[in-house]
Amino acid sequence: MSNESSGIGLGSDDAEMKRGPLGRWVNKAIKNPDRAYRSMFYVATVFFLVTTLFPFYWLLVIALTPNRLISNMGLLPKGFNPEVFITMFERVPFHLYMFNSFVLGITTTVIVLLLASLAGYVFGRLRFPGKSFLMLGILAISYFPPAAFLIPLFELFTGNTAISIGFITVSSPDLFNTPAPMVFPFSALFLPLSIFILTTFYGQIPDGLEDAARVEGTTRLGALFRVIVPLSAPGVATAGVLTFIAVYNEFFFSFLMNNGEASSWAPIVAGILKYQGQFDTPYNLMAAASIVGVLPVAILVIIAQERIVSGLTAGALKE
Amino acid sequence: MATEQQSGEALSESRRSGPYASAVNWMEALSETQFAYLLLTPALILLGVIALYPLATTFSMSLFADQLTGSARLGEFVGLQNYIDLITGARDFALPSAFLPTFTTQFPFVTDIYSSALMVTLIFTVFSVLFETLIGFGQALILDQDFRGRRWVRVAIIIPWAVPIVIQGMIWYLMFQPNIGFLVGTTDNPALLNQLGFIGTTPLRDTADSLFLIIVADVWKTSAFMALLILAGMQSIDRSLYDVAKVAGASRWQQFKLITFPLILPTVLVAMLFRTIDAMRVYGIIETMAGCQTVPSLSCLVVTTFNAPLYGTSATVAFITAGIIGIVVSVYIVNFASEGI
Repeated sequence: MSNESSGIGLGSDDAEMKRGPLGRWVNKAIKNPDRAYRSMFYVATVFFLVTTLFPFYWLLVIALTPNRLISNMGLLPKGFNPEVFITMFERVPFHLYMFNSFVLGITTTVIVLLLASLAGYVFGRLRFPGKSFLMLGILAISYFPPAAFLIPLFELFTGNTAISIGFITVSSPDLFNTPAPMVFPFSALFLPLSIFILTTFYGQIPDGLEDAARVEGTTRLGALFRVIVPLSAPGVATAGVLTFIAVYNEFFFSFLMNNGEASSWAPIVAGILKYQGQFDTPYNLMAAASIVGVLPVAILVIIAQERIVSGLTAGALKE
Repeated sequence: MATEQQSGEALSESRRSGPYASAVNWMEALSETQFAYLLLTPALILLGVIALYPLATTFSMSLFADQLTGSARLGEFVGLQNYIDLITGARDFALPSAFLPTFTTQFPFVTDIYSSALMVTLIFTVFSVLFETLIGFGQALILDQDFRGRRWVRVAIIIPWAVPIVIQGMIWYLMFQPNIGFLVGTTDNPALLNQLGFIGTTPLRDTADSLFLIIVADVWKTSAFMALLILAGMQSIDRSLYDVAKVAGASRWQQFKLITFPLILPTVLVAMLFRTIDAMRVYGIIETMAGCQTVPSLSCLVVTTFNAPLYGTSATVAFITAGIIGIVVSVYIVNFASEGI
């Protein structure tokens, strides 16, 4: 738009300029506004690509520069030091933290998919009193901040909550520094999104298919797990990928529900922060660990792009 | 063939006696409502134990005084005293940061904005959601076009969304730590951002600078989420509307103003609701980039008082945070209802 108006000004003020390359381009743009839109589009695309990808490039620059040379860095690394990707594992057992993250992510995903399949079947295919109330309730729970759950859950999982039944008082088991204090809050936190995604998918399976299976003599649960779930495989995959990414990215409970040691099932949150706490502030190791930590989700995004996009939009807009 | 076998098995299983068969028979005999509630039981138990019970306990803890000595976690019952102390500022001496800013009679009526947990959280929420919406809109407009390499541009735009919060914090820490890079200079040799007055020379130790950078980091990560939701809204618009508009001689801007914008507004509002709820809980990016002493958000205040340990105060702040989020949610929902969406 601004190009066009300045073009008119240019043309009328100075005929010489009209013959320059800019003037020619402006003239064409006036005759054919689509060209102007097209170039605006390219400028915007390049702008967004640079802003989203530059931080990753910066990590690579810092990682490859030897730590003693890191000061007043420009756009290029000072030196080339690929050994950093070995040193980072020697300094902090980052592979163990990543293993913990994978175990926590996969366990949570399995629990969430199982519970959300049952709930999604109920909400998507059955009619019963209290349905909309329950759906609203589950939605409302996902609004509350994790901070509002922190103290009671911490007490519960450190064995400080006592339950009395009659004369017997049972105190909760001390599960701190096991996967449990992270897996259960994660499951509860990310269950609502999966329920809504699977409700949408399960609701779209024609009734006839389920009826046919039932007539054949399949049990009710058999019909769910042998007919409905396999037919909704894309939906299940979507919910699974989103849950795994959410757990891998989670900070609050990952940070507070363990003592930060790899042997206590602490995930990558603690691993990355370990480098920040080193006495010599190894910026290059921090950057290298960040690159390694991003790789699994980056690969997942590239492979499962379609699933993520459809899941985020279907799940969120449904709610 | 496989199904016949399976169904045959199921039949013979149901004829057999034993615990499995009786469980199956019992389940088959349930009414639809009973069956629905049976299947919901595991999910409801999980949400009850991990969400509802802690929420109720947090509220009841907020009615008790802090206990600083002895083995007990909580002091005597004080009713709503914790809430009153927090709101009047009487509790500020015990806190790492105040809950509310100091109010004055002169314009702009508040001082010490950056040392107030509530104000810091609200500033973060308003600015990050606003800019995420605008940038997400721009990204959605681009992804809505048909061009070669669209798939890869989309991957590039989504990837920040999938970056773990702790790594997001680390990236921005490494970009704005003094002396590392060209983005932050020294007093003698200021960088461009210093000269323009956006940030000082030690931005991650200054509350206002850190808050600004944390907002930028959050916009970088979550604009993609907005973009995807807005894009879904755009692609559900009937394309023939644009053909009609072209025939009628509408310019691109008019097409956007009269067709695209009104039709995607409901989607944008829903997306903003999600982001607002999320932004009000901000914690991880602060802890990694600048630390809770520098940028005290509401969640930060909950954690620092919990570690102090001031259990009563911590529970009160946590419950107020939940309450504020509840108010924001109901404001949005009332707006939806009045617009008849």
